[in-house]
Amino acid sequence: MTASAADRSIFAGYHPIINYVFFGYAVLVPILFMHPVLLAISFASAFSWFVYLNRGRGLKFGLGLVVPLMVIAALFNPAFNHEGATILFYMNDNPITLESVIYGICAAVMIGGVILWFACYNAVMTSDKFIYLFGRMVPAMSLVISMALRFIPRYRAQAGRIASARRGIGFDVSSGKFLRRVRSGGEILSVMVTWALENAIETSDSMRSRGYGLSGRTAYSVYRFDSRDRAMLVAMLALMAAVATALAAEVVSVMFFPLFTVSGTSPFGMAAFACHAAVCVIPLALDVREDVVWRMSLK
Amino acid sequence: MTSGAPRTRRGFDLRFPKTVLVAVVVILCIPAAIAVNVLAFDGRAYYVTALAIITLSMLPFAVAFEGRKPQARELVVIAVLVAITVAGRAAFFMVPQFKPVVALVIISGAALGPMSGFVVGSLSGFVSNFIFGQGPWTPWQMFAFGMIGFIAGLVFSRMAAAIGSGDAPVHARGGNASEKADTDSVFAQPDGTAVWGWDVKGRLRTERIRIALLCVFGFVITFVLYGILLDTAAATIFSSSISFDTLLLMYISGAPFNLVHAISTVVFLLLLARTMIEKLERVKKKYGFMQGVS
Repeated sequence: MTASAADRSIFAGYHPIINYVFFGYAVLVPILFMHPVLLAISFASAFSWFVYLNRGRGLKFGLGLVVPLMVIAALFNPAFNHEGATILFYMNDNPITLESVIYGICAAVMIGGVILWFACYNAVMTSDKFIYLFGRMVPAMSLVISMALRFIPRYRAQAGRIASARRGIGFDVSSGKFLRRVRSGGEILSVMVTWALENAIETSDSMRSRGYGLSGRTAYSVYRFDSRDRAMLVAMLALMAAVATALAAEVVSVMFFPLFTVSGTSPFGMAAFACHAAVCVIPLALDVREDVVWRMSLK
Repeated sequence: MTSGAPRTRRGFDLRFPKTVLVAVVVILCIPAAIAVNVLAFDGRAYYVTALAIITLSMLPFAVAFEGRKPQARELVVIAVLVAITVAGRAAFFMVPQFKPVVALVIISGAALGPMSGFVVGSLSGFVSNFIFGQGPWTPWQMFAFGMIGFIAGLVFSRMAAAIGSGDAPVHARGGNASEKADTDSVFAQPDGTAVWGWDVKGRLRTERIRIALLCVFGFVITFVLYGILLDTAAATIFSSSISFDTLLLMYISGAPFNLVHAISTVVFLLLLARTMIEKLERVKKKYGFMQGVS
């Protein structure tokens, strides 16, 4: 979609393992632990990285799509969940509780953050990284995925070829009566599918004659796990482990019902928040640093 | 169709020990996921627990498919169907919910059997999200489309073979307009029944019934399986507690969208099912592969 963002981002240039460890952490921690501070840090870093990657378009997506969704999420919970000890008021004989309102707001920030992280993922990650990482685990399925991704533009081109051939014999999809055009479109699809299937057989015969499925074959890969990746992975895992320890020891914890209780003000808690923030800003920091270095080098 | 084909090609082969092992592990892991949710997260990590269960449930399919070491021909045909399905979703991007994806997945399952149906369905969900955006919904879509392909394969494999084998003569099944006019004048009897010893009308009726069955199946499974599953997913992420009321609300508010989706599945099945199944059966027969599945 946005190849430019994938090319521009320095974080995307790291080894796919780094990318996936980061996105896995960024998405799972807010969903599992809805601590307000963790959520706020996640959301803020996801939002700023996303806007940094996509500039004005990113801001439009953020405000136009994510914010309304967050409002719905914030309203949904207090309206339909009446747990909680502090009753604010009654609506249609149903109690609206403070705890439920707080949960709604936290859920909204969580959902917004997760969607923004996925939006960043979609902007910087390419399908070949997924295939590289999971290709050895599920080789047949990865092959299907990469072939399907290749077929889609190929079919578009072929459909264009069929359409122009049919125009030449007087069946134009872009003119004439509606039903005639629909039928002509259907014919193009029909020709396309037959061609695609015949072509598939040819492709597979070619694969077989080149030794597909024989043992001892290697996979081409452009990714190398170098010392830069190793340092990044170690740093990231150390920070993540610190956050995980704090969460497991309940230094940082949150409970919404029946009473909203939140912990994390101790020095250890603060350290955990700092570690979480450090992980979350890694991609943005790398990208900003690269841009600054580049601009300086121009001067 | 051909009884001599190896049975290992048939759908979900339980004789394959690795699959059994994975299935057992999955069956043990699902209660474990629920237990972790209850013990460590006070039973509130609905989304992640549900996600874990969904992901685990897809594992045996992946292992069975990989373990079967699918042949190149099978893989490429599956990739073609995934690509067509994704292109179909992309072609209708401006019409919300009106998508040919479920119809094409049902056709794939019917023509290629339950296992390939699952793979076409789940990978179509995955690959199309490379274009439409991956998100927390991806695993749910993969599971829903995959299950639809799998069930379609279980229910309709035999029927698809019958449609594809052409037990009603081609000219009686519409064809294109001029061809139909031709055959009408040459072969049709005044009462429209026996033509050269073939009960054309009867066979045509059987085929219409088959397509109608496929459409009913498509409508029900889109509305019930896909709709309910994705609405439940939405409920798990939106709400702090899952109750009958929140779920009912989700289902009611999702119903119009699911209805449009289900209707679109019927429309695309009516338009595509016969032609697509014929084409797939033809390729299978012509090149003699995947014969064991139907």
